[in-house]
Amino acid sequence: MPRIMRTALRSLPVLVLVTGMAACTDGKSSSSSDSVAPGAATVTITLTDDGCTPSPATVTAGPINFEIKNSTATKVSEAELLRGDTIMGEKENLTPGLSGSFSLKLEAGKYQVYCPNAKTEKVDFTVSGSAAAGSSDPAVATALTGATAKYQQYVAAEVDKLLPATKTFTDAVRAGNLDAAKKAFAPARYYYEEVEPVAESFGDLDPDIDARIDDVDNVADWTGFHRIEKGLWEDRSTKGLAPIATKLDQDVAKLKTLVATVKFQPAQLANGATELLNEVASSKITGEEDRYSHTDLSDFEANVIGAQSAFQLLQPALEKIDPTLSSNVRQQFAAVLDSIKPYKKGDTYVDYTKVTEDQRRVLTQKVDALAEPLSQVAAKVTL
Amino acid sequence: MKASRRGFLLGGVAVAGAGVGGLAGHIAEPERAAPAPADRVSFYGARQAGIATPPQQRLAFAAYDLVTTDRAALRELLKTWTAAAAAMCAGQMVPGDSTTPAAPPADTGEAVGLSPGNLTVTIGFGPSLFDGRFGLAGKRPAALADLPHFPKDQIEAASSNGDLCIQACADDPVVAFHAIRNLARLGRGTVTMRWSQLGFGKAASASAAEETPRNLMGFKDGTRNIETADNDLMDQHVWVGSEGEQAWLRGGSYLVARKVRMKIEAWDRDYLSDQEAVFGRTKVSGAPLTGGKEHDDPNFAAKDSSGRPVIPMDAHMRLAAHENNGGLRILRRGYSYTDGMFSDSGELDAGLFFIAYQKDPRNQFVPLQRKLAANDALNEYIEHVASGLYACPPGVSTSGDFWGSALFA
Repeated sequence: MPRIMRTALRSLPVLVLVTGMAACTDGKSSSSSDSVAPGAATVTITLTDDGCTPSPATVTAGPINFEIKNSTATKVSEAELLRGDTIMGEKENLTPGLSGSFSLKLEAGKYQVYCPNAKTEKVDFTVSGSAAAGSSDPAVATALTGATAKYQQYVAAEVDKLLPATKTFTDAVRAGNLDAAKKAFAPARYYYEEVEPVAESFGDLDPDIDARIDDVDNVADWTGFHRIEKGLWEDRSTKGLAPIATKLDQDVAKLKTLVATVKFQPAQLANGATELLNEVASSKITGEEDRYSHTDLSDFEANVIGAQSAFQLLQPALEKIDPTLSSNVRQQFAAVLDSIKPYKKGDTYVDYTKVTEDQRRVLTQKVDALAEPLSQVAAKVTL
Repeated sequence: MKASRRGFLLGGVAVAGAGVGGLAGHIAEPERAAPAPADRVSFYGARQAGIATPPQQRLAFAAYDLVTTDRAALRELLKTWTAAAAAMCAGQMVPGDSTTPAAPPADTGEAVGLSPGNLTVTIGFGPSLFDGRFGLAGKRPAALADLPHFPKDQIEAASSNGDLCIQACADDPVVAFHAIRNLARLGRGTVTMRWSQLGFGKAASASAAEETPRNLMGFKDGTRNIETADNDLMDQHVWVGSEGEQAWLRGGSYLVARKVRMKIEAWDRDYLSDQEAVFGRTKVSGAPLTGGKEHDDPNFAAKDSSGRPVIPMDAHMRLAAHENNGGLRILRRGYSYTDGMFSDSGELDAGLFFIAYQKDPRNQFVPLQRKLAANDALNEYIEHVASGLYACPPGVSTSGDFWGSALFA
């Protein structure tokens, strides 16, 4: 059953066409071009232990559906599409006999298909030409293009603030000043949490900066904010934390270099915003994120502000495309931000353990009420 | 698009085939020829389906609270829900776009490839919906009076009542769950789910031609349920008629839900003749203790050789029988449930999710339950832990109409 289901779901993106075709060709034989989805090219990637070759190796820019299958490969179980160091899309856990897919809208450029553990791990993949503009209103297209450029600036600006805020934190750790370090922890994280989905696209960087203890195989390899958080709050000591602090500085510096190279698509802004809210629901409201310091509400606010910033850039275009959705999302953002106001205490938030189960349930419901319509935005702003 | 879920699956396979062999034209054909599935209950009609419908195997029940006070938003929600319920009952996907790669699909997908499974989706309106938030205070029927506290009630407020309820029943548990899940999703921002209960096996039948399903105590309870094919009985006991002062509810009914926890471990230790005395029935055959077969009328006057009633005075069946309640009857439509086990005691958490339909709970469920709560021998082994009362509007006749539209007229 799971496999049948997988097959059915994998085919969702192209199904409308077949239904439509069946109706309009009725009895006539269909030419092979009928079986190609409108605009969406399909690239097949077969996982083998030697490597994984995309077929075809070159496609025209636009929506592309990647179908990945593993018939026999035992050493390889995933395929990633990379542009430089950025993971554009991936499918994991494909053991022999399984298949999966992901869909992306790609612009022209050089990409690589990356299959970890294969004999040849990376194979080139080329996207040629340029995608046809999907929006008939040039003003909308311009607004969306403008939004992506502004989001790039926003991300760069927030990462610029992340560096000194992190330094304040790590300096205190290196100086052995426990109180100062504790005080600087949440403010430094704030800038990271605002742009986390962007950081997550850079492979190991996010785990290095933000992994929690249960994310790592070996606790000795654990680095980043939460490793230091455990030291400060649970072990109540900065002993042994200086090297971790220094690595954290290096990692956020690396992040700054990498974000300067990233370009975004409007749908990525919207889906990234939804991801931020999923982060809120899955790890902040549960209290898992900052389990030693209980500063979860600061991260909560940062995630929501990061999502709102992305949304606000899309808003002018969305107003034209779907004003009802736009105003709904705008109101729900306000409702979520209102819902955490009562927990604000000066510049910070109350210790999260003070928030009762009933209050957490209300917070989850507010976040769900926002994330659901927000998840509809990406489809509206796809160029 | 209105692809049937099965057609959707076939179509999906066709495309997958097209990728390798270009056979789409041939493989897509079965979809055109696919007949309407036999296990489909019509959503549209003068009455809501799911009341007179013969009970399906599985239940997914959910209660929802409005988080808005906007009357227009409530109306919009009911329209959206009606359209989605109609589609799901027809074995179609939730309306909307399920194909854009950059967006989450409108349908959550777990029922793709499954037949309708006789799915019915039935809505009810709780007393709190008429509290004034939506300008509906004047539309509250007198019979939608809050249920009183009954002796021994251990009702948990967090899993009781609610502004709206949805009873989704199907022969496939995934299809039933898919319904309450997708309605919750469509309602996000307008409603939150207040509580929810799954039932894994029907515990009522709607026809004497059918064997009565057993409850988790191993007994056939409710063998003399109203036969839903009997229109006179349905009009007399179940459907709200012209006697109701609220015209919008005529053709509807009242749903009472009670989560009845069974003290399974204690019951299983009770000796057979006592178990039979508690119900007033023979355990294996289901017949009354006075003999015959399961659907036969009991003889409440019969005495044993020592002059004691054969069916004890506190037997569940004697107390509930219509002969002993001035002809009072309800339509039972409950399901066995389990929520696993109690982590504190290690005992099973299971029982009966009792559902009953009636035309006026003030004259039906309430007096009956008062009597049972005070006298029933069964009370030693059960506990009512959740409760809900809802007014179920009449059916939706056409695809332009929606649940409860008369409330907004």
